[in-house]
Amino acid sequence: MELQLGLSLPSTPIFPFKMLDLNSYGYELREGLGPFGINVNNNCGSCSSSCNSSSSGGADDGGGGTKTRRLLDEENRIVPKTLPLLFWTNQRPNDEDEPKDVDDHSSSAIFKNDGEGLVGWPPVKAWRKKVRRRVANVRAAVENSCGGRASSSTYVKVKMEGNAIARKIDISLHHSFESLTTTLMRMFDISDENGQKSFKLTYLDREGDWLLAEDVRWRNFIRSLKYIKLIRSRC
Amino acid sequence: MQKKMAYSFPDEVLEQVFSFIQSDKDRNAVSLVCKSWDEIERWCRRKVFIGNCYAVSPRMVIRRFPEVRSIKLKGKPHFADFNLVPDGWGGYVLPWIAEMAGAYPWLEEIRLKRMVVTDESLELIAKSFKNFKVLVLFSCEGFSTDGLAAIAASCKNLRELDLRESEVDDLSGHWLAHFPETCTSLVSLNISCLRSDEVSFSALERLVGRCPNLRSLRLNRAVTLDKIANILRRAPQLVDFGTGYYAAELQPDVFSNLAGAFSSCKELKSLSGFWDVVPAYLPALYSICPRLTSLNLSYATIQSPDLIKLVSHCPRLQRLLVLDYVEDSGLEELASSCKDLQELRVFPSDPFGAEPNVSLTEQGLVAVSLGCPKLRSVLYFCRRMSNAALVTIAQNRPNLTRFRLCIIEPKTPDYLTLEPLDVGFGAIVEHCKDLRRLSLSGLLTDHVFEYSGTYGKKLEMLSVAFAGDSDLGLHHVLSGCESLRKLEIRDCPFGDKALLANAAKLETMRSLWMSSCAVSFGACKLLGQKMPKLNVEVIDETEPPDSRPESCPVDKLYIYRSVAGPRFDMPPFVWTMGEAVRILH
Repeated sequence: MELQLGLSLPSTPIFPFKMLDLNSYGYELREGLGPFGINVNNNCGSCSSSCNSSSSGGADDGGGGTKTRRLLDEENRIVPKTLPLLFWTNQRPNDEDEPKDVDDHSSSAIFKNDGEGLVGWPPVKAWRKKVRRRVANVRAAVENSCGGRASSSTYVKVKMEGNAIARKIDISLHHSFESLTTTLMRMFDISDENGQKSFKLTYLDREGDWLLAEDVRWRNFIRSLKYIKLIRSRC
Repeated sequence: MQKKMAYSFPDEVLEQVFSFIQSDKDRNAVSLVCKSWDEIERWCRRKVFIGNCYAVSPRMVIRRFPEVRSIKLKGKPHFADFNLVPDGWGGYVLPWIAEMAGAYPWLEEIRLKRMVVTDESLELIAKSFKNFKVLVLFSCEGFSTDGLAAIAASCKNLRELDLRESEVDDLSGHWLAHFPETCTSLVSLNISCLRSDEVSFSALERLVGRCPNLRSLRLNRAVTLDKIANILRRAPQLVDFGTGYYAAELQPDVFSNLAGAFSSCKELKSLSGFWDVVPAYLPALYSICPRLTSLNLSYATIQSPDLIKLVSHCPRLQRLLVLDYVEDSGLEELASSCKDLQELRVFPSDPFGAEPNVSLTEQGLVAVSLGCPKLRSVLYFCRRMSNAALVTIAQNRPNLTRFRLCIIEPKTPDYLTLEPLDVGFGAIVEHCKDLRRLSLSGLLTDHVFEYSGTYGKKLEMLSVAFAGDSDLGLHHVLSGCESLRKLEIRDCPFGDKALLANAAKLETMRSLWMSSCAVSFGACKLLGQKMPKLNVEVIDETEPPDSRPESCPVDKLYIYRSVAGPRFDMPPFVWTMGEAVRILH
């Protein structure tokens, strides 16, 4: 794949709309090192190591023609639209270019969100999602269809006393106070021993009352839970 | 020669002249003419817009513009709307309020978008600004009705309180009662986001009744249909009204009361709200429909026939927000009835369903593009699209300035040819020469980015998801889109090369967001080191990025230009890259 990095963009379209040929871009072949002395190759690992090396390399444009020389020529340099840290070579971008472990990470990039698949997709505001679910519930109930989603949001806001930042957890992932507290301790960076003793788990229930979680059964807790707050216990 | 001209007008005259210049761009241009103009201009600049609250520090703003009366700040990246930015990321307004409390005692207006606002901030606002008039909290969070009570109680000249789409801890509906009886200055009140059922309705009624200048009122869901008539009768001068629940058992007296109340509002041009609609009550609106220019039915679960009936009564409609229940047939009706339509947004009623639940396809959008000559702005969720349709839309409507298409299933090809949708979107960027905002979806290769870079010269904001084949795609956009300010990308195979090769471009943009792409930690570090005017932030909630090899891709990356340097209010899962900064935690 050949690509030109010019200092200024061409004024006429490079690609007339009808011409769609991957192989004939009409761009200059650009080879050699750029001002940062960096060479691009396939292996991302060595790419980063060469990136860390000194960038004092001069304008060594081994194989380029006059146009490449112009890019590197200090006197002719206009304010560059692109000041590259890398230059393109004529490598064809293909699968080898991808970091080898992209597959390992792509699966972790797709998180399950309330069992609905991708996080943040489709891009509907959370605000609308809530309404939508209620609407779906209403419709499902009205139409008596069993395909409607009946689950309401399982994300609950958690605040820690003394900490202005609220977090959210998916309560459906927990089935006991133990697992909930472990997650909360980790989330707010509270070390085990002292932490568990110095904080109490409280929650706001549907009726607007703040209650101690330790006083109720897990099942009741889940059903009436609206917000969670960790408060410092004074004993 | 020029010096003489500069001194030929006394400063006061220049100030007077400058006072007619309202746009930020023009003001900035004025300040570049010469030093004395810069000096005069900065003392008389009254409005400041800061598109990224981390691009500059409050002190820097105050130092340059000492007499500001109105400030607008934006915080979190746009993708925060879709839960891609973890809670606690940042965007806190308190530091700004704290500095401005001392420096701008005469501050009148604060407009915030996607920021974290605490009750403490609201209380500080209430205490510090004696002439405070306008508070707009758009998609904000972190505060409760206690903070609102402070604002209500203290701001004697409050004109606007607009909480649109914010998340409020609804502790008590009685905050409304904190507006003193002497408060008669309200012009705009938007409480549509409040979720609790206990809005103090009598306090609301009294408040509405004593504010003769009230032009815009948006109620929350809790306000039932039977209460609307009472409110409207106290405010017949309303121009913009948002209902609560628009549902009740059909009762003739309630209906006629409601219809009468609506018809007495001779200025009413804009309606919204409409949660849970009972279609039988829609005819109560017919008397005002001929004047309506804006209609937001995006929460209304009414079906196409009812929507068609309603829309056919609104020939002057300029802006319509609706659910996909409108279906192709409804959009065809819209196309024939509403020739003034400028903006259309169609939202999905069942975004997570696997199968289409309504008959809404690309045909509806094609019909509107053909029938509505003034159409400029489109947001459209659908399940299928074709290149042919997109080309038709582009040819019909070259005046489009915003085109956001979301095909619900990622990587969906042209349903007729099974090809990528590159050609279709290419037509959009080619024909719509004033296109400023574009969102892409469906199956797309690097070609669509080639077209965007070639033709999208006025493109300012581009949103990309599940698209492209290689770094070439990103390179086309960064090197070709001259006006690009905001670029947000998720789940695309874009890696280090294009980003590093176009590093300087990033300094000309407001921000770049990339999540679930292939940019390595090493590249982020390099970028942070080489580009001191950029803040390169890596977001990873699972583990620190340096616990893995440098070639590993980062989870989320947010790069923005800043003259304030790296920020220090980051949560544990955000790391700033940089030479001087090391890896800030």
